Amino acid sequence: MDIKKSQQDLDSFDTKSSQVDRRDFFAKTAALGVTALAGTSLLAADEAGEAAILEPQPWGTKWGDPITKNLYGMPSKYEHNVTRRYTKLLASGNFRASIAVTPIQESSGIITPNGLFFSRSHGGVAHIDPNEHRLMITGLVEKPLVLTMKQLKRYPSVTRTHFIECPANGGQEWRGPQYNSLQFAKGFMSCAEWTGVYIKDILKDLGVKKEALWMLAEGGDSSKMGRTIPMEKVWDDAMIVWGQNGEALRPEQGYPIRLLVPGWEGNLCVKWLRRLDFASEPWYCKEETSKYSVLKPNGKAVQHFYANEVNSTVTSPSPEIDWSDLKDGDVVEIEGLAWSGMGTITKVDLSFDGGNNYVETSLKGLVLPKCWTRWSYMHTYREGEELLLTSRAMDDAGYIQPTVDQETLVVGVEAVYHRNAVETWKVEKDGKITHVEVRSQLGRKENGELFIEGKA
Amino acid sequence: MFTINKNFLISISAAAALSLTLSACMENAAPSDTKVAKKAAIDGGVMYPVANGMSGPYHVNTDAHNKKIEYGRVPTAKEYEEWNTDIMANGEGLPEGEGSVEDGEEIYDSKCVMCHGDFGSGGGGYPSLSKGNAYELHDTLTNQRIKPDTDGPVRVFGTYWPQASTLWWYIKDAMPHPMTDSLTDDQVYSLVAYILNINEFEIDGEEVDDEYVLNREKFLKIKMPNANGFEPKIDGPHGPENVRKYFSNPHNFGAIKVKPADRCMTNCQEKTAKVVYIKGAGISDFHPPLSEVRDLPKEKATGFSAKKAYEANCAMCHSADGMGAPMIGDKAAWANYMTKGMEKVYSNGINGINGMPPKGGSSLSDTNFKSVVDYIVSKSK
Repeated sequence: MDIKKSQQDLDSFDTKSSQVDRRDFFAKTAALGVTALAGTSLLAADEAGEAAILEPQPWGTKWGDPITKNLYGMPSKYEHNVTRRYTKLLASGNFRASIAVTPIQESSGIITPNGLFFSRSHGGVAHIDPNEHRLMITGLVEKPLVLTMKQLKRYPSVTRTHFIECPANGGQEWRGPQYNSLQFAKGFMSCAEWTGVYIKDILKDLGVKKEALWMLAEGGDSSKMGRTIPMEKVWDDAMIVWGQNGEALRPEQGYPIRLLVPGWEGNLCVKWLRRLDFASEPWYCKEETSKYSVLKPNGKAVQHFYANEVNSTVTSPSPEIDWSDLKDGDVVEIEGLAWSGMGTITKVDLSFDGGNNYVETSLKGLVLPKCWTRWSYMHTYREGEELLLTSRAMDDAGYIQPTVDQETLVVGVEAVYHRNAVETWKVEKDGKITHVEVRSQLGRKENGELFIEGKA
Repeated sequence: MFTINKNFLISISAAAALSLTLSACMENAAPSDTKVAKKAAIDGGVMYPVANGMSGPYHVNTDAHNKKIEYGRVPTAKEYEEWNTDIMANGEGLPEGEGSVEDGEEIYDSKCVMCHGDFGSGGGGYPSLSKGNAYELHDTLTNQRIKPDTDGPVRVFGTYWPQASTLWWYIKDAMPHPMTDSLTDDQVYSLVAYILNINEFEIDGEEVDDEYVLNREKFLKIKMPNANGFEPKIDGPHGPENVRKYFSNPHNFGAIKVKPADRCMTNCQEKTAKVVYIKGAGISDFHPPLSEVRDLPKEKATGFSAKKAYEANCAMCHSADGMGAPMIGDKAAWANYMTKGMEKVYSNGINGINGMPPKGGSSLSDTNFKSVVDYIVSKSK
């Protein structure tokens, strides 16, 4: 249909477009002869073939939906298994202080669709009327401020692609593997293109006093989630965002606005944001004391542990989508994700023996700071082979993922948060994938330090 | 002498910091590769300051970030007061008021016990508030479950939290969970007193016993057993610099730095390292169940089942003892409610009562909710 048609043409659309030009049809059919195969010997003659090709399908012979249907599009109904998932083990009884995790086994590229972005709330998902929502900026500023959402969006916008990761991603597995699932072992994270405003662009005209060392960000949902952010991050890249992958934030992501502190704990990216306050002393919010602090074997806990450290995982194969359909000699791509909240991914290595020996993989596609990065390695599958696939990433801050032993020797097994030791998938003889860990038995010295038992 | 030394030390560290900044700036100024970002950040990572119109790989309209912008307005005093509810560690923001352990227990039993359990024991996915004497249990923070027979650390308010201000602020702003911001200041003092009581606290040498009455003055004298249990030190004018220093040492937080060329490529594992498998059958409580199949979704059951709705929305409190809610099947309790008439029972449920949120927190229609109430009543006759 010619998109330049006038309104009159559209009015007479029904009568005109239903006429099929038969001569044109035969002319096109005849032309096909030029591209036909020279002989049938190249083709398999033994079997009739698949119904998918031989049988006309209803979608190929009947009208589809009119364009007036689904004005906001949804995925194909056949994709219903590609969805966030939850477990009662990580939820309050009524699923208001809970998490639903992203099916990264099904993710492609570096963008998570908004409907699949992992969702964590402390008092349920709030549904805020943007007309009745305000952002208030107070504390150690010369000029405190109230902004409507419309006024906020008038500031010059910034668009950046960053992952957001719950620092408890993989946090159930400090004492050994728990989930035979990529979605639950590593899916407490997602990545999106965010649009919003740098907080520094608002602050520069408010006269922030030099005594201000910390910012409180507080949500307007029933949990009033608050977190303390140091001013350095505020003057660097902290944003207030309203856009996610080209549309408004979803309610699950804090609609109408949330804080985005690139690379740092997802919990710091306060959703349903309504207040920023500035002070010379830090707050002690509930979610930066009782939770989101890392208890070490000496009984001291790391607080203000901001950045999600360099990390990676194999995403293909996965326990969910394994290699049981592969045949001997099949060439298959081993693919994965790498990410670092401390910088940009520089290298990803892959091991076939659980992290003892490594080869370097290829990075793939865009490589952006504090963003999911794809990596790839081609492998020839041998039927019956057993492999221990372990990936290990590095970033431009110079960090490399530790082994399970290296990490637990220092922070122990009670840290809950910020686990970034290498992850291992075992490829079983039948091509099935099992989540394992490669680690030593730890012991405890008199002085409380941990050591590796049996180490010479 | 001491003062001079101190000044001397400060000037050395200031000079060191300055030279760090300078070298960082010089690297940033290097135009050859704007993707190389090198400035030690507070989180131990790198920053990507704008250089030559670029921040890392992103183009920047620098003009957009230099213009003076004056949207919005100044908040009114009333607006500020309404939202400015935070309580600082030094007590800034903490209102006057008082509350007793006795009142606190009463409020707890009507508004909190359904989630936090008897005496703050926890349950139903909600946290424990106490596991006993906080001073004794504080010693468990060095526990590590490195072997199957070892106990873990007890991390509850009394044993773990560094500041009491957090408790007051959190209860006032975010509790009770289904109806936040609904308690008076005195009620918050009462609940805090009760939580101190079940953690067996002392304030200023005095035991927080069943007769104790807490007020602002006494609250500010609370000494948390784990006040010094956190690192780095964030208080005071050097707080942020302490954080930067802490995260500049990878060993403090279990990280490893290495030059790319020096990273281990062969024989990287300890000889003692073994493959560890998921214990037993593992966890399979995944909803919906894992599947990568492409098919049509199963038709959803259209019929409404009061029994299923009860199990999904109500059973967690009405089927569990000690949650404060009348138990399903408790004939005496329900007969008592019925004396006020069925309409009253419906409206209490629909609007919420005591610790029960409206419709038990469910999204059932009024009609369906009433049939769930009918179901409970029918099972309690």
